Amino acid sequence: MEDLVRIRDLSVRFYTYEGVVQAIEHMDLDIRKGETLGIVGETGSGKTMTAMAILRLIPYPGKIESGSIIFTESGLRGEVDLLALSEDRMRSLRGNKMSMVFQEPSAALNPVFTIGDQISEVYLLHRRHELGYRAMQQVEGLLADGKGNPLAGLRRPFWRWQRRLYCKIAQESHPLEPRIVARIPFFNRLLWRLRDEAELLTVNILRDVEIPDPARVAKEYPHELSGGMKQRAVIAMALACSPKLLIADEPTTSLDVTIQAQILELFRRIKVEKGASVLYITHNLGVAAEICDRVAVMYAGRLCEVAGVEEIFSNPLHPYTRALLDAIPKPGKEPQPIPGTLADQFSPPPGCHFHPRCPNAMPICNQEVPELKEVSKDHLVACHLF
Amino acid sequence: MELRAYIVRRLLLLIPVLFGISLLIFGITMLFSPIERASLYVSDPKQLRDLASIIQTYGLDQPFWSQYGTWLGQVFQGNLGWSKVVSMPVWNAIWNFLPATLELAIFAAPVIIFSGIFLGTKAAAQKDKPLDHATRVGAIIGWSLPNFWLGLILLMVFYGALSGLLPPGRLSIGMDAVVNSAEFARYTHINTLDAILNWRWDVFLDALRHLILPVITLSVTNVAFIMRLMRSSMLESLGKGYVLTARAKGLDEKTVVNKHARRNALIPVITISGYLFAALAGGAVITETIFNYKGIGWWAWQSASRLDIPSVLGFALFSAVLFVLVNLIVDILYTRVDPRVRLGGGIQ
Repeated sequence: MEDLVRIRDLSVRFYTYEGVVQAIEHMDLDIRKGETLGIVGETGSGKTMTAMAILRLIPYPGKIESGSIIFTESGLRGEVDLLALSEDRMRSLRGNKMSMVFQEPSAALNPVFTIGDQISEVYLLHRRHELGYRAMQQVEGLLADGKGNPLAGLRRPFWRWQRRLYCKIAQESHPLEPRIVARIPFFNRLLWRLRDEAELLTVNILRDVEIPDPARVAKEYPHELSGGMKQRAVIAMALACSPKLLIADEPTTSLDVTIQAQILELFRRIKVEKGASVLYITHNLGVAAEICDRVAVMYAGRLCEVAGVEEIFSNPLHPYTRALLDAIPKPGKEPQPIPGTLADQFSPPPGCHFHPRCPNAMPICNQEVPELKEVSKDHLVACHLF
Repeated sequence: MELRAYIVRRLLLLIPVLFGISLLIFGITMLFSPIERASLYVSDPKQLRDLASIIQTYGLDQPFWSQYGTWLGQVFQGNLGWSKVVSMPVWNAIWNFLPATLELAIFAAPVIIFSGIFLGTKAAAQKDKPLDHATRVGAIIGWSLPNFWLGLILLMVFYGALSGLLPPGRLSIGMDAVVNSAEFARYTHINTLDAILNWRWDVFLDALRHLILPVITLSVTNVAFIMRLMRSSMLESLGKGYVLTARAKGLDEKTVVNKHARRNALIPVITISGYLFAALAGGAVITETIFNYKGIGWWAWQSASRLDIPSVLGFALFSAVLFVLVNLIVDILYTRVDPRVRLGGGIQ
């Protein structure tokens, strides 16, 4: 299968007052087209930072130190290195070709804007040409219908002006006249059809994520919705422009179990219907088993094991993966907690970061960093045992 | 809750507030002995012999409650007493001096509030960069400069050294004559506004010229306050999840900061801006006195320094009403800015 995203040698560091934190160390990871890749790991293992690095939204004082993230766009443009793109180009990809769903839906939505406003914003930003074209057609329809109607004659000049504005929006990338008009109070009403068209698309995408009565919900504020509805709205926002890559950062963690199942079902359906790749970040192996095609296990900023979902559950190779699986409570079996604590982020142990907690540790483990090796087809492990 | 019902309820709350304030202030004036208060009515030393009869006539030796009751009865009849320093009833004095103070507040408040919001936003968006440090230093300097000192320095430079470029007072003598003449209609007694309505641009510019220094004096100290508040509120807002969402949508930094973060950060600033406006409209006592700008603050200072008790009482009541009204407006404004706020309901 073709790769959508190819991460090579990615390193992210945080320069804090207490010291330098290696959030991600020399990571190589592929996300294939149309697959759901799960990233599993404990808190602080660098899962979220991997997602943030792809969007290039690493928060201050973090920095992407090295590496490349190759993103395969559709069309003739082909492959681009996200880390080498200009900020403007990167912005045109964010929310458009790649988007993100966050853990806490009530925090991810702006409390002072309606759901509709927040989703329309995405369309107004990335689908401006299309909206302009649709609005222009509307006005042309009005102009054609109004022929011979004396009342329409008065509004004709405004319609003509609107048509010209929408035509410019549809064709030019940075049209001057509409931008000036948009900034003048009262005159900016001439552009209302653009907003109207965006609203239509918004209602459609809300219906797509199975929100009942989407037209009403679009007019509501986030605090008027339940947690599950809010998360659906956030997913709708991420899906608005049919992204190639949808990053979901623990999207079900803050939800009830029943709602959780519904949201997972929604993700599964989205992947099939929209053909998007999903990068699903979770600390919950059960969720990963339910939704992912492949799973990548992370520990202290490094990948331990990458394999297909069935393979990783039936034949886990890395001691950390095995320990994680043993830590899941199962009926009739005591869960086995992993001994020790997560590696100290300022001075992680040398060699393999997991060796102080590893039952199979060997002398070489605290000297050499294990490489990520392919031990069988599509099964990669970073451990000296293999 | 319906807006009208809310306003009526809040205005009814004004009654106990005013009652408490009047009780407090009247109580303080009672700390003076009857003889001291009686002598305030005396202008001619020969009359000092008649103090006993003055005390008798005005009931100054009556118990507190009886004196307070008499005064309150007068207030209910619209009689706030006689302001000795300006030789007119207190009620008339308030109406006489209010336009000048309002004019100053109308010019100073937007300067303070908008530049404070603008600078605070910039400082937060560029946290720990040179601009942030510059505004921080500026805020400390502005906040620690005493009003009277800054006012005097400004007068020395712009009136003294620059030979009367920006004079104190409200109008130049010539313009004062124009304003008081028959053909100049005084609709509001706010000079700049009346000048525009009368189409007298010379008067307008002259009034504006007199406003510049007081506005600067008030701004330098108060901008710092709004700016620091805006900065911290903005920093909190910029750390929220919705800002990250906005960035992940592909919005440019300007929209993220000015639309998504600022709208949320404005909420505490609105409260403080309301109080600031109330404080300015209630008379900027020191600034008005320094610049001989005859507004409520100037009158309050004159009354207080000459122990003009009825004037001080009237001024205190007026300030209380003003604060309560501004507070009410701020609360209504909240519902416009933050959809989570419901009138009479609290935050959801």
